[in-house]
Amino acid sequence: MKATFFAATALALTLAAPAFAQTRGPGGEAPTPTTDLKLDADEIAKLKGEHATAALLWHTSSDFVNAVTAGATDTFATLGMKVVAETDAGFDPAKQQSDIATVLAKKPNAILALPLDPVTSAAAFRPAVAAGVKIVLLSNVPAGFTYGKDYVAIVTDDLFAMGSHAADAMATAIGGKGHIGYIFHDAAYYVTNQRDQSFKKTIETKYPDIKIVESQGITAPDQGEKVAQAMLLKHPDLDGIYVTWAEPAEGVLSALRQAGNRHVKIVTLDLSEPLALDMVKGGNVAAIVADQAYALGAGMATAAGYGVLGKAAPPFLVAPVLTVTKANVEQGYQQSLHRAAPDSVVKALKGG
Amino acid sequence: MLRAPASLRGVDPARYVVYLGFLLVLGGFAVALRNDGFLSAANLLNIVQGATPVTVMSVGTVFVLTAGEIDLSIGSVVAVAALVGAIVLRGAPWWAAAAAALLAGGGIGLVNGALVAYLRLPSFLVTLATMGLLAGVARWLTDLRSVPITDDIFNGLFGSGALFGVPSLVLWTIATVVAGHFALRETKFGAHVLALGDSAAAARAAGIRVRRLRMQVLALSGATAALAGVLYAGRLNGARYSLGETDLLTVIAAVIVGGTRLSGGTGSVPGALVGALLMEMLNNGLILMGLAVSEQMMVRGVIILVAVALTLRERRV
Repeated sequence: MKATFFAATALALTLAAPAFAQTRGPGGEAPTPTTDLKLDADEIAKLKGEHATAALLWHTSSDFVNAVTAGATDTFATLGMKVVAETDAGFDPAKQQSDIATVLAKKPNAILALPLDPVTSAAAFRPAVAAGVKIVLLSNVPAGFTYGKDYVAIVTDDLFAMGSHAADAMATAIGGKGHIGYIFHDAAYYVTNQRDQSFKKTIETKYPDIKIVESQGITAPDQGEKVAQAMLLKHPDLDGIYVTWAEPAEGVLSALRQAGNRHVKIVTLDLSEPLALDMVKGGNVAAIVADQAYALGAGMATAAGYGVLGKAAPPFLVAPVLTVTKANVEQGYQQSLHRAAPDSVVKALKGG
Repeated sequence: MLRAPASLRGVDPARYVVYLGFLLVLGGFAVALRNDGFLSAANLLNIVQGATPVTVMSVGTVFVLTAGEIDLSIGSVVAVAALVGAIVLRGAPWWAAAAAALLAGGGIGLVNGALVAYLRLPSFLVTLATMGLLAGVARWLTDLRSVPITDDIFNGLFGSGALFGVPSLVLWTIATVVAGHFALRETKFGAHVLALGDSAAAARAAGIRVRRLRMQVLALSGATAALAGVLYAGRLNGARYSLGETDLLTVIAAVIVGGTRLSGGTGSVPGALVGALLMEMLNNGLILMGLAVSEQMMVRGVIILVAVALTLRERRV
């Protein structure tokens, strides 16, 4: 969760998205799906002739980053571009600055990066802009950077779609009507706020027969269990619980198990092994909505190809969203994280 | 009786292992990365400038460790000082901001020192506690928000500026290392620090004011950490609560590899400089080699282990 969290978090500071209908870019740009990016055979041939190189400047190391890296590296390979350096700033903007300086010694044509912090990364990324490197940004924009001049494109999770997919999954799980609990992240945090609000809005506008009977915020993942216990106490007739992300959802699941409650359906976001296992075993978890990190990386690499060719990419790209249920859990892991589902999950699927 | 010449007396050969290690790693990268711009002036400058904050902190840490104490709070002091500087800079000139940051760091060090010296608490525990406390303060100061710095003098002096073509961060490195080396080797203060680390009882018996000295050493460490914070803020044109968070162990590793004894009594400022440069050079070279992040971490770990083994093993003989 943390990684995905962070992937789009800094948007909070720059992309103060006012609109609700969809995820919006820093200048209010409408989103373009990463799948819309296309390079034709001539363009790819031209790109291959350039023998271009790219560097990946990540904020941390995680499952999410690995999948983005895999997507980017595979796509670069098809474009004849070589990844010459990869860095992990460990969430430290000063380390990221020195990473950039280091990487520039290799004179890459393109950089894919998640700038850690809009304020402090502006100075850090300026030398790369000055060196003429084509920059594709993940989720976050350094302060004062302009599209087309300083960077090629921003690629991010489609947060709005994640929330609305979760609402649709909840509706499916409880048969389109009933009482649900809503556990949201009670903090000024762009990623979770966008997803939570989108879930709530979609339920309220699209599903009149579903009532949110209890809303409860959490500030830390370990509060999930206690909040769920209180909800069950107040509303024994609850049909479903939405949880803001996987970690607290594990606590909610534990509360339901302790109460011997097999009825309440859980819908949450971001893949987690214990939740996926419960889901395939026919437990409380009905669906997990996930972003497609691999596609995110692939989109970033293609956008970098646009940059190297001097072709304008759409300014604001969003990666597709995926609803994972028991039916598609194996493909879900592949599509989202570009790896096989955990052994326990696969075993449970086969076992029944 | 044969006596070594004065200039060689007290010289510990193990202390030079770090220079040898540094040259070996430098040579290794120079060969492996000969086509990747590793030896370009720009890249070597990257290494020195990247290492500057850690070097500056290392100078203070040499004194603390030599005195037989430890300061775990330096990483948190970096963030607090940087934020204090950036906040003061909103309404005051650059020199006031820098002074406020240094005073904040020095003041924190003084409090650490007072707790250690007068309440007789172990510095490990005192600074472990203040490390956490200050990490909280750094988050609370601006409610996790970064503070931009637009003052050109501040950013130039402490970040990207240059004097007669020499980048300011390089000048800060030279200035701190020279001052630190002089203070440790040529002043009464330095001699007292060495004596204290060797044996507190003997130092006390020799009339050294041990409590005051402990306070001074920890205040110095706070001040150098604050200077590192100011340099980070200048380089990044802004301050953020997470600055310096990961530096503590790098600093300690640089200082130890550089020949300062964790148990006190021996310290080397030039060694710490070389240790800090070695750490940054490893970051730089391993990235340029195109290794995956996990591989970079493993190789760095092995090289540091070898360096530490060489330094410490010889000294135990």
